[in-house]
Amino acid sequence: MIYLDNAATTPMDPEVIEVVEESMRRDIANSGAVYKIGLDAKKRIEKAEEEIASALNIPSTHSLIFTSGGSEANNLFIKGICFPDKKTAFLGLEHPSVTATLNYFSQFGNEPLSLLGFQKEGRLDLSEAVPVLNKNRVRLLCLSHVNNELGTVNDPLLVASAIKAGSPQTRIFLDGVQAVGKLFISSGTWSGLAGYSISGHKIYGPKGIGLLIYDSRLKLAPQIHGGKQQHGVRSGTLPTPLILGLAKSIRLAVERTEETQTHLKKLFHHLIEGLKSLSSRLPTFNLKFNSLTTDDVSLQSPAIVNFSFAPVEGEVLLHHLEEQNIFVGLGSACSAHSKEPSKILTGIGRTVEESRCSLRISLGRQNTINEIDRFLEEFAKAYENLYPAFKGKGTLD
Amino acid sequence: MTELRTLLIRYDEIGLKGRNRKFFENCLYNNIKQVLSGLDDVRFRIPRGRIMVDTPSSLADECARRLAFVPGIASFSIGYPVNPDFEEMAALGIKLVEPSLRAEGELKFCVRTQRTDKNFHKTSPEINFEVGSRIMTALSERGLVVNIKQAEVVIEIEIGRGETVLFDHRTPGIRGLPVGCSGNVLSLLSGGIDSPVASFYMMRRGCRVHFIFFDNQPFLGRGGLDKVLKLSRILNRYQSRGRVYVVPFQDIQVAIRDHCTPENRVVLYRRMMYRIGQKMAQKIKCLALVTGESLGQVASQTLENLAAVSCVVPMSVFRPLIGMDKQEIIAQARKIETYETSIEPAPDCCSVFMPSRPATKSRVDRLERDETRFQWEDLMQEAMDNTEVIDLDSAKEG
Repeated sequence: MIYLDNAATTPMDPEVIEVVEESMRRDIANSGAVYKIGLDAKKRIEKAEEEIASALNIPSTHSLIFTSGGSEANNLFIKGICFPDKKTAFLGLEHPSVTATLNYFSQFGNEPLSLLGFQKEGRLDLSEAVPVLNKNRVRLLCLSHVNNELGTVNDPLLVASAIKAGSPQTRIFLDGVQAVGKLFISSGTWSGLAGYSISGHKIYGPKGIGLLIYDSRLKLAPQIHGGKQQHGVRSGTLPTPLILGLAKSIRLAVERTEETQTHLKKLFHHLIEGLKSLSSRLPTFNLKFNSLTTDDVSLQSPAIVNFSFAPVEGEVLLHHLEEQNIFVGLGSACSAHSKEPSKILTGIGRTVEESRCSLRISLGRQNTINEIDRFLEEFAKAYENLYPAFKGKGTLD
Repeated sequence: MTELRTLLIRYDEIGLKGRNRKFFENCLYNNIKQVLSGLDDVRFRIPRGRIMVDTPSSLADECARRLAFVPGIASFSIGYPVNPDFEEMAALGIKLVEPSLRAEGELKFCVRTQRTDKNFHKTSPEINFEVGSRIMTALSERGLVVNIKQAEVVIEIEIGRGETVLFDHRTPGIRGLPVGCSGNVLSLLSGGIDSPVASFYMMRRGCRVHFIFFDNQPFLGRGGLDKVLKLSRILNRYQSRGRVYVVPFQDIQVAIRDHCTPENRVVLYRRMMYRIGQKMAQKIKCLALVTGESLGQVASQTLENLAAVSCVVPMSVFRPLIGMDKQEIIAQARKIETYETSIEPAPDCCSVFMPSRPATKSRVDRLERDETRFQWEDLMQEAMDNTEVIDLDSAKEG
């Protein structure tokens, strides 16, 4: 099996599995209980928090809240500080857990400001956008650190300094789900960020756990009420094994960032060159990259390659690759409940046909050059096989 | 002490059958025994004209839930066994009527008795009076009034030889004929809204329905098959012992796409599906094919195209939905609980196989000419040889 959909989820690291399994057997007590086995569980969770803070260089100005995943962390922060009437803005290319949360505010007469007009290569063009944020008195700007479909990067340091200078009342929230372990996060990053979200299963950790890191001075309105765990912001018994697993996966991801980055860049480069040479070999292969092809990690994550190849439909290609036991993502993912392509590719100016005729290859540290070669070979075969059926069909919509 | 309940199961249509009646009754009885299997302490009795099930009160609701899925049942009630004693019957009647009384205003009620034991010392109207008057004495001050024509609560009493049962509610069944009494049919299931409804209608006419699905995983992935299996499991609750035949169809579709006139593709695909369906039906002893076609709904469902498809098979093709409109079909799909699954997004027919303008009036001579352009007999044999069979009763997830 060749798994090239690491932005969707990653296989769990055996070291993390070990930590989770051990804790599942050992930490039977509720971490809120006052007897010693409860206190032991609590201590382990506190140690995990320290481990995470130290791995990510999080200063004491910021707090951690464990959630069920990235989506909940995004919801908790955005609703927690802005609902219902604080002015918000977004680029419009974020994950639905950000865009749908902001759009939900519209029901209460608080339309989020879309900055799609200031989109440049999948990133926010700060020089043009910041004056608009200031003029609209925007209180919270939500962006992806790394875009989930394109891999394009909004550099937190650049965003923070531009906002501080040009729109000081605007706070910044970054969805960091696709960034941890691929990009370095320096200690200086945090002072500019009001909130940041992480998901366990995108970094070889367990599914069902995520993390919100936020400026402790902010008062978050709780979204889940109950036993007042986690400073009363997010009630619910803490899942000790998942938290220990998350801490382990964050530490491994951060420790290996340099090594991972080097490896991913190699795969990224190999894949891009492979696709380019395929397009010069196959005159029918109408290659168009949607992600950037640069290896400058301040602009593009080396983990994601998104490309279009009209007129062949991405989903059909995906199933042909599946037959060969190669698993890739759609360039423009349909949501679980609709067959419409997501708005990200059309958002950066691709046509609906180009959006449908696309794939997203997302690389992980376990992938190899041989796997990329196998993918290229099978992709070429499937493409040549399918092209005649799509040729001359014109637009598919 | 566990209380006992007696489920009274009524059937209407079977009652009309003449000399075959015993056969239909046995069929229904066996189906009911099958759905209630696995429940302990359930005892069956078959007095004339109904089926009775004695069960501890703790299992009565579960029995009722399962009976709601059995074709052939007109209605059923959860009854309370009592002694044929008016005081005892009235006391139970009071207990059953009381919760329906309103804080203000009247509650109309009546007592109806059916007496199969003609040796009982009172007639049915007399029993109605004896029990009804006792209930009235207790509850008339709280707004209970007798109204035989417009009763809101009906206390029914059945006095048979050996037992008396009292009940206050009739739950409608799904009616029709018991599955198995008409034989087996093979239904072409697509994953859409219509074909599950068509299959259900055939079950309700006493057929055991097996399903055939034409799969194209290399192009569409496994989503379509998963959905069809989910649908057939929902449908199988009405019959049990159904099977799904999964036919790999991609090679046939590719051949038609590559060699035949684009406008004719859809009808050509369907002709191949019918042919394979008929061969498979013959092999597994099904006497007819069933489809969810409804006249004029889509391009392939015009009179001309239906005729152009039917003529390839020497077998009955039943289309229970032919005269229904979409809203009626959707309403029925909701009732049988297939609708929510049918509308889940799954790839149905990939754009690569669909012509931009499908013909609405295909001509058989042209279709036959198209079919000389690829080796359909060989491809059909290959598809049949590679067909996978999934038994819906087995716990294994397909």
